[in-house]
Amino acid sequence: MSLLRQKAPRSREKRLDTLGAWLGTVSVASKEFAGDEIPQRIRTFAQSSNDDLLYALRILAGIRDSVTIIHGPRGCAAAGLHHIASRRNNTHWIVTNLDERDTIMGADGKLRKSVVALYRRYHPSVVFIVGNPVIAINNDDIQSVVEELHEELELPIVPVYVTGFSSQNAVSGYDTALHSLLKYLAGESSIIDKNESLNLLSVAEHPQDRKEAQHLLEKLGITLNVIPDDSTIDLFRLAVAARASIPLCPDAPEYLGAILQQTYGVPLIDVSRPVGVEGTGRWLKSIAAFLGKEDVAEELHKGKVAETTLQLGNFSLKGVKVYISLSSANAFSVLDLVEELGGEVAGLTITHLDRLYIRHLNELAERNPSLQIHVSDGQAFEEISILRKLSPDLYLGDSTHLGQVARLGIPVVSLESLALVGYSGVVRVARRIKTALANNSYGDSLAKVNSPYQDAWFRRSHNWHIKQEVK
Amino acid sequence: MPHYLEGSRNSCALHGALQLFEAIEGVVPVIHSTAGCGVQYYLGGTRMSGGNDPFGSPPVSSSNIGQKHVVFGGGSRLREQLKNTVKVVQGDLYAIVTGCSTEMVGDDIPAMAREGRDQDWPVIYANTPGFSGDVHHGYHLAVKALIEQLPDIWKKPEEFPSGLVNIWGIIPNQDPFWRGNLQELGRLLEGIGLVPNLLLGSEQSVASWQQIPGAVLNLVLSPWGELPARLLEERYATSSIILDGLPIGTATSTLLRRLTAQLKLDPIRTEAFITREESRLNLQFARLADIYFHAGFQREFVLVGESAQVLGIAEFLGTSFGLLPRTLIITDNPLDSVRERLVTRLTAFVPGYDTEVVFSEDRAEISDIIRTSDAQLVLGSSLEREVSVELGVPFLALSFPLADRIVLERSYAGYRGATTLLEDIGTAILAFSRDFHLC
Repeated sequence: MSLLRQKAPRSREKRLDTLGAWLGTVSVASKEFAGDEIPQRIRTFAQSSNDDLLYALRILAGIRDSVTIIHGPRGCAAAGLHHIASRRNNTHWIVTNLDERDTIMGADGKLRKSVVALYRRYHPSVVFIVGNPVIAINNDDIQSVVEELHEELELPIVPVYVTGFSSQNAVSGYDTALHSLLKYLAGESSIIDKNESLNLLSVAEHPQDRKEAQHLLEKLGITLNVIPDDSTIDLFRLAVAARASIPLCPDAPEYLGAILQQTYGVPLIDVSRPVGVEGTGRWLKSIAAFLGKEDVAEELHKGKVAETTLQLGNFSLKGVKVYISLSSANAFSVLDLVEELGGEVAGLTITHLDRLYIRHLNELAERNPSLQIHVSDGQAFEEISILRKLSPDLYLGDSTHLGQVARLGIPVVSLESLALVGYSGVVRVARRIKTALANNSYGDSLAKVNSPYQDAWFRRSHNWHIKQEVK
Repeated sequence: MPHYLEGSRNSCALHGALQLFEAIEGVVPVIHSTAGCGVQYYLGGTRMSGGNDPFGSPPVSSSNIGQKHVVFGGGSRLREQLKNTVKVVQGDLYAIVTGCSTEMVGDDIPAMAREGRDQDWPVIYANTPGFSGDVHHGYHLAVKALIEQLPDIWKKPEEFPSGLVNIWGIIPNQDPFWRGNLQELGRLLEGIGLVPNLLLGSEQSVASWQQIPGAVLNLVLSPWGELPARLLEERYATSSIILDGLPIGTATSTLLRRLTAQLKLDPIRTEAFITREESRLNLQFARLADIYFHAGFQREFVLVGESAQVLGIAEFLGTSFGLLPRTLIITDNPLDSVRERLVTRLTAFVPGYDTEVVFSEDRAEISDIIRTSDAQLVLGSSLEREVSVELGVPFLALSFPLADRIVLERSYAGYRGATTLLEDIGTAILAFSRDFHLC
């Protein structure tokens, strides 16, 4: 249990040299990550971006029959409305509503009362207590509340120690939430009998993506244990005794897969993301190889290729320059998809870049060394400046600033709520792209609204404000 | 000691200040806090107000402080962020707003704003940590910062239009119809010969806020507008008319007459305007009559929203449209002194009928109250949709948050807003009975 003994995992920066600000070509990125020392970069001008708290909430929103208590001031729970509106399941969102006095005197009494009251009201199967800047700065004692009430109420209470500032990469919040889920819900592996199921690690995925992956794997005759999306807490106990883990993405569930492997001896099957016809085929075949079911996968892939080809008809992205701005693993897999559909990738914006992507960088450096990679989460002004220069024909993205991008008059397809995974994902994306390219009159209308930025900014280099951090 | 809240619809002071600043063209908020504060605002505020995204993104400047700044202070980071914001983002005014973290660390915000002004940048500041209060408090802090600090940046204009009226208390997004409501109020004031100073929304810029001292009156349309009116009375001796709610339908006529008397306007002009508007509204009522009776519009309703909206809508539906206000749930936490007078007004609309008034902002509690209310129509926010489905009654989303409705310039105020409200409530009832019969 060594790694799980800590309150929270080490940040992505410390674990994987994760960068949140960077600009350059693929070949330079590949060289930089070949070295031992990767200096951190900071911005001297920044825009709002996701933090570890928001990413942790994405995971907790998917756990069934839970109560999530954000132990902080009101604003730290604002995004709860967004999750309630997505109506994913019966999660309850609570904020302890800390005021000025609480920030001076501490508020563990208030937290204790909230947990007890909510337990009595809902009898949930688990209560999450989520940290934030106020609690982290004050060093409020969440731990003793967790321990006392766990005994008293005989209820799993899981503290999630996100801070909002200790990592500059929101993705650390996935790790922090997954760390706590395993630590408090999985129990000791030695007392659970090994089972024949395989874990499907699905972290903050679109429900349809998760179902598509499940559907494909079930055709290989696999019994699946899906965590953490839409799972009950019992599944974490099963997960530590599973035969192996299959990640639906190489990034978001990376920490979960690694701990299951290192601490509980559940092998992690090393696969990339099942996006695109070939990408999905590769994913299926790697998993089948682990199970000795290559011929079933081969057969399934062949049938699906024929079906997908038929559905795509004469759709092609030939001659279309595409800009991609997505979370990192999605971006690299969509890059392959765009090329598979015959398009040309004009550039990439990814939320973070780290050692998980060395293989991708090296492969791309061979194939397309001058391709520009821009690392940024939420820095719309950087993207707008880059896009003005590149003027692509199409933008594929999932950020919260699509409204700004679209004002450049570029056709936009939002991948935020579009399921991408599997063979059916290809057909769905193709259809959306076809629609976007067929009529850009809305883009033309939007282009009449001025940009919020100074002209002087567009005349400068895209990264004058990004500096190496002085330790 | 405040209680915990489930599914809260009142976010923090920082978010309230952001709502206000984003509603003025040319004002650029500069957030001095952790990175996520602006995204929380975007997901929980902007996205829940479909059609109110001024920048096409979360707020465009944020210092995103990290561990180092929490330990050693974030003043130098703010200095750098402010300097570069002026370089990168177009704006007439830059407004520093703070989050919990930088306030707990103790950064000297006034000093940073002063440094900016020494460089001749138009900079104001408001200390808006989330723990200091909710969105309404944030509205107060932002308005106060503008009233107090703008005169230090720009000299008072030499001339003001005569008959200028400042409008206060309509809070962007907390009233989802704020844009349209302000426009309708502007039209009404113009109709009786006044010059509206809307302050927020389309074509409202820093220039509108510079006009504030020259107003002959502050028109206050919610309890939250009392503070700015008081500040201006102290500074410029401007008098006020204070209403606790939006004027809708004939309540508008009462307001216009009051304005005419207080500002000594031409009563003949006012009466002519009122007659024209009221006849038009009366014809709308008449055109609706057949369907009103055969579809059974007359029913007991629950209404959930902020004080000003609940008061205005309940008054209109209760005194002109024959509906019965069963339970009125007020979500904006008005002060105790305000609560008393609200209850008095709200329970008097239909003589002899018992109206229940509740103050709550907890989603679970509100749902429980609706469940036991026995109402046949639910008017509330998107958070009340679920319970209305459970009860099997028609539902209209009209208060914050609106997750499944787009509002651009729609209004539920004045005469025209009354017509729109009739359209929307009628449509909700008809669509529901149709779905019901199809099942």
